[in-house]
Amino acid sequence: MTRRYGIIVDLNRCTGCMTCVLACKQENLTPPRVWWDKVLEIEGSGLDYITYVRYACMHCDDPPCVAACPEKAIYKRSDGIVLIDQAKCHGRGECRKACPYGVIDINPEQDYFALPKPPYQDTGESFRVHPPGKATKCTLCVHRIERGREPACVEACPSKAMIFGDLNDPGSTIRTKLWQAEQLLEAQSADPKVFYVIPKNLSKLLEERIVTNPHMDRLP
Amino acid sequence: MEFRGPSGNQELYNQTGVKVVSPEKETVGYTFCDGCNEVPFCGIKFYRKGEAVTRIEPWPGFPASPLCSKAYATLQRLYHPNRLKYPMKRTSPKGSRAPAFVRISWDEAYDTIVHHLNRIKELHGPHPVFFYVGDPKEPRASVQRLAYTYGSVNYGTESSTACRRAAQLAEVLTYGFPTTGDLPTEQTKVMLIWGTNPAYSGQPFMCHWQLADAKERGVKFIVVDPRKTPTASTLADIHLQPRPGTTAALAAGMMHVIFEEGLHDQAFCNKWIHGLDELKAYVKGFPPDRVEDLTWVPAKKVIDAARLYATNAPGGLKTGAQGTTHDLNATNNHRAILMVPAICGYIDIPGGVTKPTSPLEGMPFHWAEAPASFCMRDKLAAMNDKRLDLEAFPAWAEKFFEVQTNYLVEWIREGKVKAFLGWGFNMMIWPQTHEYQQAFADLDFAMAVDYFYRPQTHDFVDLVLPAAMNFERLAPFAYYGRTLFGRTPVKPAGECKEDWQIALEIGARLGYPDQFFNGNVEAACNDILGMFGLTCEDLRKNQEKGVTVPAKSPDAFKKYETGKMRPDGKPGFDTPSGKIEALSTVLQRHGYPALPEYKEPMPTSKEYPLILLTGARVPYITHSKWREDSPWLLELQREPLLMINPEDADLRHIGQWDAVILKTRYGQMDAKAKPTIMVPKGIVGVMHGWAKANVNELIPRQFDPISGFPPFKEVPCTVMQASSASAKKRENM
Repeated sequence: MTRRYGIIVDLNRCTGCMTCVLACKQENLTPPRVWWDKVLEIEGSGLDYITYVRYACMHCDDPPCVAACPEKAIYKRSDGIVLIDQAKCHGRGECRKACPYGVIDINPEQDYFALPKPPYQDTGESFRVHPPGKATKCTLCVHRIERGREPACVEACPSKAMIFGDLNDPGSTIRTKLWQAEQLLEAQSADPKVFYVIPKNLSKLLEERIVTNPHMDRLP
Repeated sequence: MEFRGPSGNQELYNQTGVKVVSPEKETVGYTFCDGCNEVPFCGIKFYRKGEAVTRIEPWPGFPASPLCSKAYATLQRLYHPNRLKYPMKRTSPKGSRAPAFVRISWDEAYDTIVHHLNRIKELHGPHPVFFYVGDPKEPRASVQRLAYTYGSVNYGTESSTACRRAAQLAEVLTYGFPTTGDLPTEQTKVMLIWGTNPAYSGQPFMCHWQLADAKERGVKFIVVDPRKTPTASTLADIHLQPRPGTTAALAAGMMHVIFEEGLHDQAFCNKWIHGLDELKAYVKGFPPDRVEDLTWVPAKKVIDAARLYATNAPGGLKTGAQGTTHDLNATNNHRAILMVPAICGYIDIPGGVTKPTSPLEGMPFHWAEAPASFCMRDKLAAMNDKRLDLEAFPAWAEKFFEVQTNYLVEWIREGKVKAFLGWGFNMMIWPQTHEYQQAFADLDFAMAVDYFYRPQTHDFVDLVLPAAMNFERLAPFAYYGRTLFGRTPVKPAGECKEDWQIALEIGARLGYPDQFFNGNVEAACNDILGMFGLTCEDLRKNQEKGVTVPAKSPDAFKKYETGKMRPDGKPGFDTPSGKIEALSTVLQRHGYPALPEYKEPMPTSKEYPLILLTGARVPYITHSKWREDSPWLLELQREPLLMINPEDADLRHIGQWDAVILKTRYGQMDAKAKPTIMVPKGIVGVMHGWAKANVNELIPRQFDPISGFPPFKEVPCTVMQASSASAKKRENM
């Protein structure tokens, strides 16, 4: 059977420690202000707790970004991973408008350091190269999955808040926990393959947050 | 790994058309992270091409694992263009507004240091030279050896300024052994986590998953923290949020309930607690209603927590390095916490608070203390009377060889300190930082070893020496329990040298080439490893798994019954009374309050109605580090944030990200407001260590009389909109 990769994020275990954010940054070397993997902080009136939410591309089964791209640069692999072909992308940003989750960015011109590039940016690995002006988002660390490893964020999580696996495999850990988890913005019918175990009374607040501001808290 | 091998369509993820370089061309290396100055270190496995590091990941199977955000950022830090790469000497007056430095050779740097050290020794003896290790802790062994061989007793660290030692003093005085508690075991039924947030910091590092697993298997959690930390949010069955500085009252309240309801372990108490009657009489004065008034913790919660903890044996404990000791009652506040598991009999039993049975011989407390023999601590007895902190902090001086540093200002003014040799030190650690900066500018000579030029410190020293970073260091090796691990460094950038090498080379040039292995770092490590019949080469041969030195005896519990707690082999605890000391005989002898007494914190007032809580950890920042060291991390928070409860913010018309002024009787600073329930009403939180907003300037130079610790979590303050403050100023003009 074909594989269908997904993640469950257990928000009862996420502490907002930012390890996944930096593990992704170090693995994929995304440019300044582009964070494929983010952590959102949610608190609101009526709740007496703060919840942290690991947040990135949902690798939807019915991804609105694919249809929206005029260049047909976005595609879904047979294993369900959604990728942007950087050669075809013209950076028009239609995918950004179409994505209900607000997780697509456009690569900036700037880099963190002036030239010469630090040696870790010069390894020739395609997944660590981010041409300016192109649309960019989480690849589910497809390059790691191909080598039999979990995405960097999942492997790095110090609280073991994430489960990665094949949603088509009835014996997988992800499947055994799936009944506890839900999709965000289910009504959008994009059928996301990143699921969340959500604390009581939080779903509405969380969905409001990602609709209004899907970015990490930063000073304006 | 549950999913199966590659799908085969590799070309599809080659999104940019760039040729994929095969990973085989890379080789692997191993090192440790110094991101948070924690020991034992966390392990990093890295990939290298020649001398270049290309990526990092957690060291598989390493006991201190997984890594955190800061560890990943050490890769970017390594190649930061602003790194110090050459020794530099000052050419402008110290403290001048336009500090000027020129590059010099290592020879000139060492000649300068040796000249000053010899001159001072000749004129005033060796003790006015102060040796200091800040962050990282790694060079402590080599710098101690240098200090004591040169002949100065005055060696101190960040631990002996404001970090671990006050809590450790409380532990040693009370239990006779140092402990920050244990992780829950299969036996543990209830955990008391007090004043620490293991989700972000503390020992063992990044252990939150183990606590979360314990919760899932039914362990109950009591979390004591004024703040709504992720530890409290994800784990707490009962969360107690005390007013800062009132720890001893809350602990007394819990003990009041436990004694009143007969929930204590009477047999253990009678046999093993010194001062039991005095303690009982003291906590009688802390009924839950009074405790609510003093601590803001509802009486019912005090009762519930006491019952939950005392009736679910065995109970564990997790305390922090310093979260509970940043107030003017630091030592006795922390002693009060320690008495709660003690009266329940939870000491040195499975699932409780244990003392390790078989710490590695010769180096029991990790690199924070380092091996006594290598460090030449046998020289200390003969010169102990020259310690500068002897008079001010006698109980401390009795228990620790590290000198308490907070009176450096006075010692420099009085001419008792004339030179300062510092590795990784930062003047912002001290309250009223500017007083230390001014004092340092008056020293005959000061030297700093560091990764970057840090103006708040280096503007006030004569020499700045470039340190090799974690990927470039051989020393020290790591050990965890009884297993030792080595590292495989790449060549340092520029003319950087590792901390140990600098200390060893200074020692060699001072006239002790043999004692300092002619500056050879590996030889120095081998000298220590020789205690176990090992060398660095043995560690390299067993690189990933390390080398385990077998224990002579299996893990044992209730060692106070068998004589394994005390060096003299007699039953009991390693305290003067042989018991856990509710009534500290050492404190009594030095004229301190000997019970873990409550002391009312500084009062708030109409002018300063809020309490300033500093020092709480942000997971991707450590102290003053990581602001400029790695843009990856700086991007997560560029400005100093002031956490204020939404109700307190509304009252002052303060909105998210508003520019605000934070003010105490002692100073003020600018920040951006973040209204959040992270802090309760009446408390504001600020991260320390921002050079442009150094909150320690708002803290007075007042100290806990026992430990000398400053009140970083106690000072009354006020917060106002920056705009309304400037409007007020205009009105007054």
